[in-house]
Amino acid sequence: MASLGGSSSSSTEYIVRVPKNTSKKYSIMAFNSGDKVNCSSWTQARMERDMSNRRMYGVEETEEGAAGSEFGKKQREESRRKKFGIVTREFKVEDQPWILKVNGKAGKRFKGTKKGGITENASYYIFTQCPDGAFEAFPVNGWYNFVPQAKHRTLTAEEAEEEWGRRNKVVNHFSIMLQRRLREQERGPDDDDEEGEKGGKKKKKKGGRGGDLRIHDLEDDLELSSDESDSSGGEDGDSKPKKKEGDVKGKGKKKKKKRGSDSEANEDSDDGDFEGLEVDYMSDESSSEEEVGEEKAKSNKEAVPKGIDEASESEEESEEEKQNEEEGKEEEEEEEGKKTPVQTKKKRDSSGESDTSEDSDIDGEAASALFMVKKRTPPKRGGGRGSGGSSRTGSRPGTPSIDSASTSNTLRAAASKLEQGKRQVVGGSSESPAAKRLKMESSSTAVTTQSPAPSGKSTPQPPSGKSTPSSSDVQLTEEAVRRYLIRKPMTTKDLLKKFQTKRTGLSSEQTVNVLAQILKRLNPERKNVNDKMHFYLTE
Amino acid sequence: MSEKGEVDLTGAKQNTGVWLVKVPKYLSQQWAKASGRGEVGKLRIGKNQGKAEVEFTLNEDLTMIDSLGDKPSGVQAPRDHPFTMQTVGGQTLAVFTETQSESSKERISLEGLVVQRAECRPAVSENYMKLKRLQIEELSKPVRLSQQLEKAVTTNYKPVANHSYNLEYDRKKKEEGKRARVDKQQVLDMLFSAFEKHQYYNIKDLVDITKQPVSYLKEILRDIGIYNVKGTHKNTWELKPEYRHYQGGEEEEKETDD
Repeated sequence: MASLGGSSSSSTEYIVRVPKNTSKKYSIMAFNSGDKVNCSSWTQARMERDMSNRRMYGVEETEEGAAGSEFGKKQREESRRKKFGIVTREFKVEDQPWILKVNGKAGKRFKGTKKGGITENASYYIFTQCPDGAFEAFPVNGWYNFVPQAKHRTLTAEEAEEEWGRRNKVVNHFSIMLQRRLREQERGPDDDDEEGEKGGKKKKKKGGRGGDLRIHDLEDDLELSSDESDSSGGEDGDSKPKKKEGDVKGKGKKKKKKRGSDSEANEDSDDGDFEGLEVDYMSDESSSEEEVGEEKAKSNKEAVPKGIDEASESEEESEEEKQNEEEGKEEEEEEEGKKTPVQTKKKRDSSGESDTSEDSDIDGEAASALFMVKKRTPPKRGGGRGSGGSSRTGSRPGTPSIDSASTSNTLRAAASKLEQGKRQVVGGSSESPAAKRLKMESSSTAVTTQSPAPSGKSTPQPPSGKSTPSSSDVQLTEEAVRRYLIRKPMTTKDLLKKFQTKRTGLSSEQTVNVLAQILKRLNPERKNVNDKMHFYLTE
Repeated sequence: MSEKGEVDLTGAKQNTGVWLVKVPKYLSQQWAKASGRGEVGKLRIGKNQGKAEVEFTLNEDLTMIDSLGDKPSGVQAPRDHPFTMQTVGGQTLAVFTETQSESSKERISLEGLVVQRAECRPAVSENYMKLKRLQIEELSKPVRLSQQLEKAVTTNYKPVANHSYNLEYDRKKKEEGKRARVDKQQVLDMLFSAFEKHQYYNIKDLVDITKQPVSYLKEILRDIGIYNVKGTHKNTWELKPEYRHYQGGEEEEKETDD
């Protein structure tokens, strides 16, 4: 206002005012010099608080209102938090970042984060010159650093994670770079969506591939098997064949790629290390495989000689093949060769274990499977083989879960085939299977404890609770049925259970027919017990 | 709501230039004490041998420093404050304001750009030294203080025949009396209306709501509800499925067979 002339210096004096009650709150919007922001070029701008952090601070809201809510839950949760000393920071709106959109949708976007601590030791004031020449000073309430936000190509986080996940398995950086370059080329003409898709697809495939990589770190093993068991636990049949295929393909590809890349870039000595590892691994596996193969053969013998031969054949074949290829393929064949449904076994596997790599486990499982075999129908006997199979691949930690948990379709098909085959072999006399069984059992070391079992033939299985040991072979004769019905009333189901297909050598259909005929002849009396029709004879 | 969030860009367009000045804490405290129109001092801008000199002089009446504690400080704030001028540098600093008026319409407007940064420094003087000393003294005082007491404290816990709180409690209990059983139908009504609000209840809460003796209430609950032993809602009662009618349904049609 007043201008005082000073000697040898011209100075002007201005009054400084600090307005008292102003509703305006001043803040600083700081841009980086590199962004070359020119505020005067903005035609329009919108700015609002970024509330995306609200859910972080907000408590997990369970349903309000009737369904699913508890009386006084909020208070209880709060007191619980206080008891444990959990202090949740409040969500303060003033501290939330700003989102600034310049020039509409097509323009730039900025995110302004609050800079802390500016008002701690000194205060900032904005001095503006008023029309009357005086200065007005306003205190600065907050300082926000605004950074431009990229709108496109935001999947770098996923990509980075993915790369990192692969990093541990593929030590060849060249391949990584190559892949990325290829991807970039593809990505060029594509949209973001497609790229996202590709990324997703690749991820899935890689997950499958990566999962099968036989780089056997324990982590990989655990990782993989957990994944596998999860998936197997989830779905039963359909995903498995697909996955298997994917696995196989992936492995083949990966292998080729690795070879190719190896030939191209041998810079890292790490490659050499890994090659050594692979070799060791394969030798181990083949030896262990032989052992297990034997066990399996033994377990197989009970079922059907044909089955065993086939199985062992396929095993041999697959062994050879394995020298050349990854085990994925061979497992597939082996599975088919097994020809037994591994349903129950698979279920056990997928639910039970993730690592079947210990030998003790394998032995125990094989033994238990063999025990099982004695007392159950063929489908379940496949458990023996299943365990064998899984144990065989146990030394390859990456694969067991896939193996045991997969392709129930093929296995079921195999199972039916096996049954048929069995029937052909055992068709005529019921003696032969029993005799064979006994012989084989005596020869198998692992099953010595079980040799008395079949002769005793105590099948505790039928729930009707018939624990008395009957004759070793059950022929579906009228005499047998009569004996049962005299002793105690039974339902048709119980009777069927007595004449198990594996014992009588008949197919289930045949059994049913024969049994029906017998019942017609016997004409037993009927009685309703527990809503079920029971037959009985009084003699 | 196109108003909200819309930034008023007049300041930017006019390229209004403002200064960003860093001011010491004590000075801003003094400024807060300004009265009237808020005049706090004078700013002198001069050109001395080619260099711009800016100095701020604090008004006389604002130089009294209040200090914490009982005695007056006797310290005066220094009056002269030369400004150290700095350039804005690489950053682009804009100033925006948020206005919250009574009509609760929040307006954001861009006031201008910072053209000059400055630091307000006190001219070193005796006053300033005293002020600083005072500040240091205050800051150096420990937050916690150990003090020796001459006499032991005897006022906190005295033995009492019965605490007043307890007496009140007993009186309240007597007044309320034991919980009386009311009609089963009434209880059921109460329960149903309670379960309309929430699905799971603790037995204690139900007793509170219905004011019934526990055993009687349990009998009734066994009729119409189930007790959750495990799961997320542990040890809670809920209505049986046939009585339930959630997702906004009313329970009028639930008839209880007595």
